[in-house]
Amino acid sequence: MKEVLFWIGAIGAIGGAAAVVALRNPFYSVLALIAHLVSIAGLFLILQAEFIAAAQVVVYAGAVMVLYVFVAAYVGGIEEPKLDAIPGQRPLAFLVGAAIFIELSIAIVASGLLALDSGGPEVALGFGSPAGVGKLMLERFLIAFEAASLLLLIAAIGAVVLAERRRRDESDAEEALG
Amino acid sequence: MNGFPPIADTAFAEAPWLLVVKSIVIFGVMFAILPLLTVLERKLLGRFQQRYGPNRVGPVGLLQPLADVGKLLGKEHFRPDGAVPFLFAIGPLLVVLSGILAIAIIPFGNVVDGVGLYGIDVSIGILYFFAVGSIAFYGLLLAGWSSGSKYSFLGAMRAAAQLISYEVAMGLSLLGVIFMAGSLSLVDIVEAQSGLWFIVPQIVGFLVFMLAGFAETNRTPFDLPEADAELVAGYQTEYGGMRFGSFLLAEYIEITVVSAIGAAMFLGGFLGPGPDWLGPLWMGIKTFVLILMFIWIRATIPRVRYDQLMSLGWKILLPIATLNALVTAVVVTLT
Repeated sequence: MKEVLFWIGAIGAIGGAAAVVALRNPFYSVLALIAHLVSIAGLFLILQAEFIAAAQVVVYAGAVMVLYVFVAAYVGGIEEPKLDAIPGQRPLAFLVGAAIFIELSIAIVASGLLALDSGGPEVALGFGSPAGVGKLMLERFLIAFEAASLLLLIAAIGAVVLAERRRRDESDAEEALG
Repeated sequence: MNGFPPIADTAFAEAPWLLVVKSIVIFGVMFAILPLLTVLERKLLGRFQQRYGPNRVGPVGLLQPLADVGKLLGKEHFRPDGAVPFLFAIGPLLVVLSGILAIAIIPFGNVVDGVGLYGIDVSIGILYFFAVGSIAFYGLLLAGWSSGSKYSFLGAMRAAAQLISYEVAMGLSLLGVIFMAGSLSLVDIVEAQSGLWFIVPQIVGFLVFMLAGFAETNRTPFDLPEADAELVAGYQTEYGGMRFGSFLLAEYIEITVVSAIGAAMFLGGFLGPGPDWLGPLWMGIKTFVLILMFIWIRATIPRVRYDQLMSLGWKILLPIATLNALVTAVVVTLT
């Protein structure tokens, strides 16, 4: 049962990620990305991390991707530019991709593979529960948590300031024309 | 738990076969009641407007939904030329799926004789409701986008903007209740109301929740995604037959779910006089009262303008809900 669920989630995640890159239409790419994120949430569920799974769906599928879908649906159907925006980006992409692959391989071979034969770490009941996650966030990782929230706050204020500045520029331009 | 992984940390483990039986019972009962809700709504709307409403099919018109579904099933599956077939079919499916998934966490009672009178009592509780609720958005958007019609597309865009705007206010309105109960599990939240229903200390949260609920279910006065005067029927314009019926079905499921969540979070859910096994009855009555409120509001208040909808959501409901959560947090910490 667990194996079946894992394979469904794994195939969904990898297939979705591959489809994001392979599909030509940006709208379908976004849909594939959503399938990918929901599959990852399913994998979290198998790991008994319900809170992370729910947060994954609420935050990524429910909020972030909504904006992506908005943009893709409004702007969609634009022809891809014939020329590469950055000269020589295709060979560069292969190079960077290979570098990341090698780095991940080193990480997996060095540590992850050792755990393959074992049953995994013993997880206490309630490990992934909201109470458990909350305790970790607000006690052990309080500074990281607050730093992240500060970063988000700065981003939100920055967005408001930029939007306001653009509006002022537009009204200035109108006055100059008038 | 032979072979079955514990899908979620639950306070109370049950045998897999029991979960299957419970799912079938809950599903069966809900889907026996839902069609009757459509008759109820039409009859009540009739009374509100000084007419009778449907009263020809069956005793006092009770068999009307059967006739309606028969008609819808018999219709041709029409699809416009410009539509994307796969997505066009999957849109209504996702909308119904999201509603049905949410039914799982509605608590109809506590554990009675070793059987929990709920689908499942997960530790993430109300977060699950928001997680599956966000799937409905993709159903509406895919339906509207894949129809290849500008009215459908505009309706879908409106539905999407409305859903994300009001989901924030809805989440914040429930925070106060969660603070007071100290748990996300709906069963625990209901049990925490044994002294006093949360509607009394959390009246602000309740009002914001219900308003956001009207918007989330695309009901009047917030039914802009399907505003017939401007958009024909919004995202469902190009649909016919039972696919159109699915949108209607999903709307009634969502009304029931939002009412049930409201009843559990604010009205004491299954608590009431009498033995524990009467829980589903009390839960049903409270949910029913909230559903009646949905119908009452629909018959009373005209549709708002789009800019009014957005400013209500972002400039009024969101600050009020935030303030409510903040005050509750301070009070709960001090007491």
